[in-house]
Amino acid sequence: MAISFLLILSIGLYFKANGQDCRLIIRGKVIHLENNESIPGAYVWIEEINNGTITDDSGNFQFRNLCPGEYTIKIQFLGHQEIIEKIILGSNSFNKTFRLQEEATDLGGVEVHGHRDAVQTTTAISALYGERLLEARGENLGESLKRIAGVTTFSTGNSIAKPVIHGLHSNRIMILNNGIRLEGQQWGAEHAPEIDPFLANEITVIKGAETVRFGPEAMGGVILVNPGEIPTGKNHQTDLYLVGGTNGRTGNLSISHASGFEKIAGLGYRVQGSVKRGGNVRSPEYFQGNTGMSEMNFSGALNYTSSKIGTELYYSFFNTELGILRDAHTGNLSDLEEIIENGRPFTNADFTYEINNPKQIVSHHLAKLKAHYHLNDRWKANLQYGFQLNQRQEYDRRRGDLNSRASLDLELFTNTLDLFVDHTHENALSGTWGINVIQQANSNVPGTGVTPLIPNYDMLNFGLYLMEKYSKGPLELEGGLRYDYRTVNTARYIGNELEEADLSYNNVTAFLGAYYQISPTVSFRSNLGSAWRPPNVNELFSQGLHHGAAAVEIGDADLQSEKSLKWVNSLEFEGKKTSGEITVYANQIQDYIYLNPTGETFVSLRGTFNVYEYLQANAFFWGFDFSGSYEINDAFQAYAKGSIIRARNTETDEFFPFIPSDRMDWGIMYRIGTESINHNFTLSNILVAQQKREPSFDLAPAPPAYALFNLAYRYQVPFQGNRLNLGLQVQNLFNTEYKEYMNRFRYFTADMGRNILLKINYQF
Amino acid sequence: MKNLRKLPIYLLAAGLFAFASCESDDPIQENEGEVITDVTLLFTELDNAGNPAGLTFSFDASDPEGIEVGGAPTVETVALEAGKTYRMQIEVRNSIENEDITEEILEEADEHQFFFLGSAFSGSSAPLTYVYDDESGELIGVRGIVTVAANPSFNNAQMRVVLRHDLDKNYPGADSPNFENFVQAGGETDLDITFPLVLN
Repeated sequence: MAISFLLILSIGLYFKANGQDCRLIIRGKVIHLENNESIPGAYVWIEEINNGTITDDSGNFQFRNLCPGEYTIKIQFLGHQEIIEKIILGSNSFNKTFRLQEEATDLGGVEVHGHRDAVQTTTAISALYGERLLEARGENLGESLKRIAGVTTFSTGNSIAKPVIHGLHSNRIMILNNGIRLEGQQWGAEHAPEIDPFLANEITVIKGAETVRFGPEAMGGVILVNPGEIPTGKNHQTDLYLVGGTNGRTGNLSISHASGFEKIAGLGYRVQGSVKRGGNVRSPEYFQGNTGMSEMNFSGALNYTSSKIGTELYYSFFNTELGILRDAHTGNLSDLEEIIENGRPFTNADFTYEINNPKQIVSHHLAKLKAHYHLNDRWKANLQYGFQLNQRQEYDRRRGDLNSRASLDLELFTNTLDLFVDHTHENALSGTWGINVIQQANSNVPGTGVTPLIPNYDMLNFGLYLMEKYSKGPLELEGGLRYDYRTVNTARYIGNELEEADLSYNNVTAFLGAYYQISPTVSFRSNLGSAWRPPNVNELFSQGLHHGAAAVEIGDADLQSEKSLKWVNSLEFEGKKTSGEITVYANQIQDYIYLNPTGETFVSLRGTFNVYEYLQANAFFWGFDFSGSYEINDAFQAYAKGSIIRARNTETDEFFPFIPSDRMDWGIMYRIGTESINHNFTLSNILVAQQKREPSFDLAPAPPAYALFNLAYRYQVPFQGNRLNLGLQVQNLFNTEYKEYMNRFRYFTADMGRNILLKINYQF
Repeated sequence: MKNLRKLPIYLLAAGLFAFASCESDDPIQENEGEVITDVTLLFTELDNAGNPAGLTFSFDASDPEGIEVGGAPTVETVALEAGKTYRMQIEVRNSIENEDITEEILEEADEHQFFFLGSAFSGSSAPLTYVYDDESGELIGVRGIVTVAANPSFNNAQMRVVLRHDLDKNYPGADSPNFENFVQAGGETDLDITFPLVLN
């Protein structure tokens, strides 16, 4: 009804307008390139008049009352390449059909034009893909993510890096491996995420509280590690990556192959594997003993799509063996104090690939089955099931036969089930309603000869959620609500005593967000979300010596769930030469759980240990991150990014340990050549301030500020009709000796020295 | 197509099966194999020729719970006579598992070494002198000779006994039983006990 009314009105206006100066009309229809079906809800913007509209049910749009002249029209639709076209209006009105091409069918290049976010959210979101991801290849997940402003790492040596989003890490952020929440032993500071970054063709960071969408614990943010689309039809693509590094004499190889089946329309697959091997890492002055690593990963996917049904079967396997710096494993407090005073390892190691105790062997299996079914044009039913098995073995230096036995040996099974429906309606309302079940079983594998650090447990989490989004022109409004109920049953022997506990938690979380396209170049996002995290088993039940850390840690079974409220605002500017983004946030956390030094020591035959206990207090985090770039001319481009975080215990008015210090990264890029053959040079400088906001107790004061220089060169060239990328990077160009506050091993050793990397990527 | 339509049902069934079949194992008591609960210093007086003369007597340091939180170790006072020479043997036990850890130390002689520090051993006026005298000839400290000064300049000294594990035994200075900077030889501390010493 409304449409025909508009149509009549416009025709009326058209005739009335004819011949007059400023009564011209631009009319159009937006359709799919592939099947000529109309696209309702596409966003159309005319730059010169600063006005936009969305297409109606038949894909039509129009702009009235236009004067003669030149207009730039921009058409965008989710998952499709945008169209930008110049239109010259003379004396007549303009009419055209625009065909949008789907992005998924374009697997050809490294550079993704018209990038689509992995999740449609009103929260601040940043992604690593294309050239930037190419430059990060060979780094672990944490290191790669440092390229995004506001993301740092909490690391243990050079091979274990946990991503930190806005000052929160471990169980306070969530990592999704192709849509499945990664369930490993993330509670440990020295437990790196069990995921191979090579499987991703895009890594996305959501900087807001996203508990409603993804379940408990997504308090500080979410990291989505997503593989590329699987082709259908006879398209195929093979990617080969070779990375070699001088520091640690590291070698890294990854191959992936994706293809569709020609005979069965809609069916496609991808297989991917990577291996990595590295030896002792070198600080500028010395080798760090026993810091070698080896990694072997595999993933595979099978995909079937038809007009009604889509299914995906996915499996990924991660396997790593990591050496832990020998000198970081101390027997008691005086050992620890001596090495901290020494400031570097006592042992003078040589280079070797050999990995001895202390070490970790971790493997992670993840299988996923995803299916959706189009109930009708508006409703889609989805099912996603994930199975995970995480096996973690940690070896210490021990006497006799025990040395060949793990002192921590855990096996964690996780099942996740998501059932949800999506709907989209012509009144621009869309949403998701669903249920989410997480079931987990953790077992200590017997035979370690040590009372387990955490008990065996069974966990069941049941969640109900709904989210709705309303879009109108440049405005999107989003809100959601979720209820979770969780039970945890634990059992463990301490000596001869069987200790059991049955705990339950429940919580309601909600969020409200908005996205507004202020002008074609400026957009604003704001999101207020609550989140919760039930206490972890280690926080509840730790009891005894943390081997190697010379610390006695005492849990508290009465801990309450953490609850937080995070408000994130981000302003994005995307101009012709300048682009930039600033994100400002505040996060109020109630009952924040932290490990507090009691100031007491515990004396045993082995010597003295510091005693730590898990406490709760209200915390307040705030800060901002920024990133921006400016094209000086065709060849030169400058960029800068940085972040500032402030965190306080508002009850005791103290600072928390391991909060990233202020930092920025800025540099200049020089590009020469054509679209297909080009040379890229980047000189960058990383500046990290000293953390002056330290807690009153720390084993060693925060290390001084440091500055690092990095140099990168990339050469892109067609090779036998395919694409070849050659890269040479020098990290820590001047071999500067420094210690990063967020590295737990800063007590024992300086960080990694100069590293020269050669990277080859061939796509055919 | 018909089969595919039923796919979600099959998946649901498979999912429910996986959920039901996944439970944690019953916990099992761990044998605390590495814990040291008792350290005994055995002294046997030696005559001028170095042969045992007299009875063997001992002093204990024990912590029945090992390194569990709660219990504090009890350490006996070592009483020796001025001017005498003793053979000192160290026995290390795990009484929870009834294991003799001394044997393990001897088996891994290249990775273990006792150091003797504190006012009883360190410094030129220290009342005690220690010499390694292990059966294998290696420097371990499971067996050694302690000589008490004839006229000790002070009484009530502290005998600090440290067992290092995984150290570099060839590190310069590590051949001295009184090597103060033992941490520089690498490794970690397995035992660090201070016995009070009274000289009669």
